[in-house]
Amino acid sequence: MAAKQHKRNYMISRSSSTPPMASFVKRLFGKIHSAVNSWERNHSPCRRRSLHRDVEQEDLQHINTNCLSSYYSVFVARLAIMVMLAILIGLLTLLTWHFTKVYTRTSLNALAYGLRYELLQRPVLRMWSILNSTVEITTAQVRLSEYVIRKYNRPENQAQQVELYEVMRDVTWALFASYRALNSITIKYKNGFVQAFHRDPRDNSTYYIYNDLTNYTMSGPYDVNMSSSHQGWNDQTIHSNISAIWYREPLDPNTGEKIGKQKAIPPDELINIAGISQVPYGAASWHVAVSKFTNSPLLSAAMPVWDESQGNIMAVVGVTTSLYSVGQLMKELVGFHSGHIYLTSQEGWLLATSSTTPLLTNSSTGPKLMMAVDSQDPVIQTGAKWLLKAYGNKPPPNHEVHIEHAKLGHQTYYIDSFFLNLKRLPMVGVLIIPRKYIMGKVDERAFKTLMILISASVCILIIGCVCIFVLTNGVSKEMKLRAELISHLDARRKAEASSNYKSQFLANMSHELRTPMAAVIGLLDILISDECLTNEQYATISQIRRCSTALLRLLNNILDISKVESGKLVLEEAEFDMGRELEGLVDMFSVQCKNHNVETVIDLSDDMPKVVQGDSARVVQIFANLISNSIKFTTSGYIILRGWCEDPHSCIENGKFSFDQKALWPAQKNKLIQQENQEKSSCKKDNRVILWFEVDDTGCGIDPSKWESVFESFEQADPSTTRLHGGTGLGLCIVRTLVNKMGGEIRVVKKNGPGTLMQLYLLLGTPVDMPLENYKLKYADHNLKVVLALNGSMCRMILSKWLFKTGVHTWEACEWNELTHILQELFIPSRYTQNLTYECSKVESISKQEMEVSVFIIVIDIGLLNLSTDIWKEQLNFLDIFYKRAKFAWVLNHDTSNTIKMELHNRGHLMMVNEPLYKSKMVQIMEAAIKEKMISLRHGILGGDTHEFLEIDNVHSDPESSNDSEKSELNCSTTGIVQVEETRRTRSSSRYGIVNNCFLELTEVCSERNKQGANETFPVSQEKRMQYAEKTISEQKSLKGVRILLAEDTPILQRVATIMLEKMGATVVVVGDGMQAVEALQTPSEGGMTTQTKMRVPPPYDLILMDCQMPKMDGYEATKAIRRAEMGTDLHIPIVALTAHAMSSDEAKCLEVGMDAYLTKPIDCKLMVSTILSLTKLQPNSLT
Amino acid sequence: MDAVSQLQRQFVEHATSLYREGYLDDQFTQLQKLQDESNPDFVVEVVTLFFEDSEKLLNNLATALQQESIDYKQVDAHVHQFKGSSSSIGAQRVKNVCVVFRNYCDEKNLDGCLVCLQQAKNEYLLVRNKLEALLNLEQQILQAGGSVPMIT
Repeated sequence: MAAKQHKRNYMISRSSSTPPMASFVKRLFGKIHSAVNSWERNHSPCRRRSLHRDVEQEDLQHINTNCLSSYYSVFVARLAIMVMLAILIGLLTLLTWHFTKVYTRTSLNALAYGLRYELLQRPVLRMWSILNSTVEITTAQVRLSEYVIRKYNRPENQAQQVELYEVMRDVTWALFASYRALNSITIKYKNGFVQAFHRDPRDNSTYYIYNDLTNYTMSGPYDVNMSSSHQGWNDQTIHSNISAIWYREPLDPNTGEKIGKQKAIPPDELINIAGISQVPYGAASWHVAVSKFTNSPLLSAAMPVWDESQGNIMAVVGVTTSLYSVGQLMKELVGFHSGHIYLTSQEGWLLATSSTTPLLTNSSTGPKLMMAVDSQDPVIQTGAKWLLKAYGNKPPPNHEVHIEHAKLGHQTYYIDSFFLNLKRLPMVGVLIIPRKYIMGKVDERAFKTLMILISASVCILIIGCVCIFVLTNGVSKEMKLRAELISHLDARRKAEASSNYKSQFLANMSHELRTPMAAVIGLLDILISDECLTNEQYATISQIRRCSTALLRLLNNILDISKVESGKLVLEEAEFDMGRELEGLVDMFSVQCKNHNVETVIDLSDDMPKVVQGDSARVVQIFANLISNSIKFTTSGYIILRGWCEDPHSCIENGKFSFDQKALWPAQKNKLIQQENQEKSSCKKDNRVILWFEVDDTGCGIDPSKWESVFESFEQADPSTTRLHGGTGLGLCIVRTLVNKMGGEIRVVKKNGPGTLMQLYLLLGTPVDMPLENYKLKYADHNLKVVLALNGSMCRMILSKWLFKTGVHTWEACEWNELTHILQELFIPSRYTQNLTYECSKVESISKQEMEVSVFIIVIDIGLLNLSTDIWKEQLNFLDIFYKRAKFAWVLNHDTSNTIKMELHNRGHLMMVNEPLYKSKMVQIMEAAIKEKMISLRHGILGGDTHEFLEIDNVHSDPESSNDSEKSELNCSTTGIVQVEETRRTRSSSRYGIVNNCFLELTEVCSERNKQGANETFPVSQEKRMQYAEKTISEQKSLKGVRILLAEDTPILQRVATIMLEKMGATVVVVGDGMQAVEALQTPSEGGMTTQTKMRVPPPYDLILMDCQMPKMDGYEATKAIRRAEMGTDLHIPIVALTAHAMSSDEAKCLEVGMDAYLTKPIDCKLMVSTILSLTKLQPNSLT
Repeated sequence: MDAVSQLQRQFVEHATSLYREGYLDDQFTQLQKLQDESNPDFVVEVVTLFFEDSEKLLNNLATALQQESIDYKQVDAHVHQFKGSSSSIGAQRVKNVCVVFRNYCDEKNLDGCLVCLQQAKNEYLLVRNKLEALLNLEQQILQAGGSVPMIT
């Protein structure tokens, strides 16, 4: 519609242009119109379609109206620009045309005037010359006549008279012949004799005309007086002299010889003969005459011949000249220039014209001159009439007229007239030239120029309009796009805001939901512990409990996600042992995996920094999510958690596998390298390392198209997953956000074979100067030999590879028979010859000598024994043969029955570790073996068979103690390694079970134990022994001499703790609140140290056990006060917090205020003692 | 001797039932282990302390929860103390109630607190009866000249 209007407007604006252009414009317009229509067709439906999808109807309408109005405004703008352009171009055209036309016209007019003037001047001049020549001839004739007549003055006789006439005739002929333009020369003598020569232009013949001399008187005419002569010399006399006979004889025109017979002619055949009447005053005169012989007027001049002596007129000479030649000239001029010229007398008689029409009218009295207005030539006639009409009888002075636009008939003419003022014969010349002749070309050119200009301007206008159309089209399109963009941005902002609200809402909601969930779970716990439940109820409640836990976990996940999304997640920066965390994780999951028949393996490379800085909880969360995910989808096979440090060496050491992965992540690697390069300098400062991890499983795998999307929220690789395995799809999303937060990336990478391979890297800080443990040096010189008899092939392979790398000989066996084979090869030389395998050939190389020096370790999976029947006992018996030559280490399942453990124990197999077996456990086993070897060697040197004794001692250990205590016993001789293992297990279970933070103490215990191990003191085991066999080993009090200040307000706890500590030999002083504790420190004398000899003066106590919540002054405040008091001194009294809070925040709070360790109520005796020991022993060691 | 072994069996049964039903936990075993010649009445002493303390605390809690405007901080402190003492003695079920109780305290949920208080009282009375019975048996055994068997 708009386009139509546009068209109409355009047509209107264009319709003013010239008609021939109209069709062209119309056609052009048709095209533009159709183009616009098609454009509209193309655009509007698509827009409508795109909008239809998600915009509501009213929105659509709104946009349509919006679009329409903008359409109109655009069109108005376009139209305005086009009209302006049209006006501009039109003005330009007109001005150009006007100026070119005017200037040419004026110059042409000037030229035309000159031309006309010239044209007119020439016939006038010709006229003038004719007149002049006529006059000259007349004068010459007169002079000659006078001379001749004087010579023959007074003729005495007839003969003389005749002679006179003869001479006159000759003279006259000479003149006549010399002027061809002359029509006639006449001489009329006084006596009436007439001599005349006449040319007849019709037949170009020349005649001599004379009259007879019969009736002339010799005297008469000569005697006339003035008056009589006057009378005698009139025309009447001549014509009336009818009596005279006129003769005419033809003459040869060239010679004047008589060629014909003289002939008498009638008087009306006579030519005009000038008489005396024509010279009334004796002077020369002329007039225009007509003759019947010519059709043009004649100019005749007359002059008297005077007799000077007598003073009378002797004769009259008349000369006539035809004006024919003037007409001829005019014709020539007009023929060349076109137009009409005519000459008139002042009265208006036509003298000469350029036309061929007759100039004379035949009246009854003979031919007569005609008036110009009566001319038969229409142009001359109308021109004369026009002049007459314009000026009437009052011609302008000088008769000069210049008229440029005289409309004669259908044409316009130039009319110019000139006045030629001759004495007695004034003449007027008129020139009529058609205007077309001069201006015609100009007018035509002007028209053509105008046409060309207009067409050019129209073309320019059209092109301009098209340009404007195109340009404005682009602009309007851009405007539309911009508007769309703005609306999109708006929509996006809205969407973002709503997403933000969603996150906020989720965060709030899940937080709100968590609180009642905690209550539900707590109440369920109470309900479960109720005794009066039937089995059915119990089952139901446990089910509810599980569901609630799952729900709580889901809520936690959502909370995590929304925390991350709202950017509120802040990562801690604390040192932790990455390897241990991951091992604990694998320990935990391995239990779950066993049910699935899945092997869980951890493979961390040696170059991994032992301690890294970061958020341990979040790191563990990442791997827990990944591993649990893997477990969910893996029904058989293995799950490997690999880890290595980003380092060129590690790449090589990790072998081809990691190389392959690197190749798959080229971009990643490049990026990393860049990153590394960038951070190279900063690396020195904050020691950032890139840790690579892989979680590899043999599960169902993920479709490559989903590799990216599995990390999205609520996204699962397969929709059926939820049905089969449950879960929300949040796990991996959390993992990715956490990994990204730690400066890493995670992705699924291609894997050979079934399953999924997740690869990720983390950017974590490491403390400065972390020494790398070099296992190679450690074990190579001990000459270790290890037999790995393990069920899990993956685990075995990885371990043996590692052992091989560290310089330890290994043999692998995956089942019982193989193991027996290897053992026999190794230890029973008689069978050497039977073996052909590679391992055996290697075995052969071991000499007897070497056998004694080297340490054999046989690691046996309990699963190798046939446990279903009683065969396992026999198998153990078989192994007993090798007992003295090698150390046995048993890998137990979590469900290994107690009887087997007991049996093993009884047989002296004391080294036991739980599945899964990994590097650090292997290290412990090997270290234990080495240590034992050293001890036995030393004992051997001393001479006593202590080895035997140790064994006996071990055998004699308390049979009724639990598995744990059994291991503790074991530690007596094996430097507490398995103890460490045990504590780790408790730690891991407690860590991942409920929120229970005994992590710190445990790590401390571990480090302490290591130290103690190095010092070869066994306080822990001593303490243990005391605990379980207190009556027998009462002397050994682990805390002997330790002075402890107990700040506790609850009397029960006071009592319990006091007794506990005193049993260990510690001296305990109890105070009721924090205030008293601070005071007790300030006044050492209050402390009851009477029993002890004081070694050191300050401080009065070795350690403070501080309850956190106490009246008057709580534990935190008291600690702060104590630490303030210590400020400036070297003193640092260890303070251990005692609290019933089990939140990690509490732990953090405790450490923050300056406490050294943290114990939870109820007090675990072992834990407390180890903590106290670690804190008190540490100081003297470091001091001394 | 028959009576002694009868008593001993009764004692063991009672004790194991206490452990099995979750009234007591490992902590109580540890307490028993701490008792020796130097302080022969240690367990009784501690248990008595617990009773006194608990009754005081329960009373405090009851009064605190009856206030017009409840000072949840105060209540929390009491519950915390109760939890500490109960866990020290190994009264597991009382401790569990205390955990829930503290959650309600955090939420400032009066109804929940009152319910929990009631539950805590019940649990306390239960464990008190059981403990008293146990200690009575122990006394009887000692008076009869027998030795108190260890419960593992």
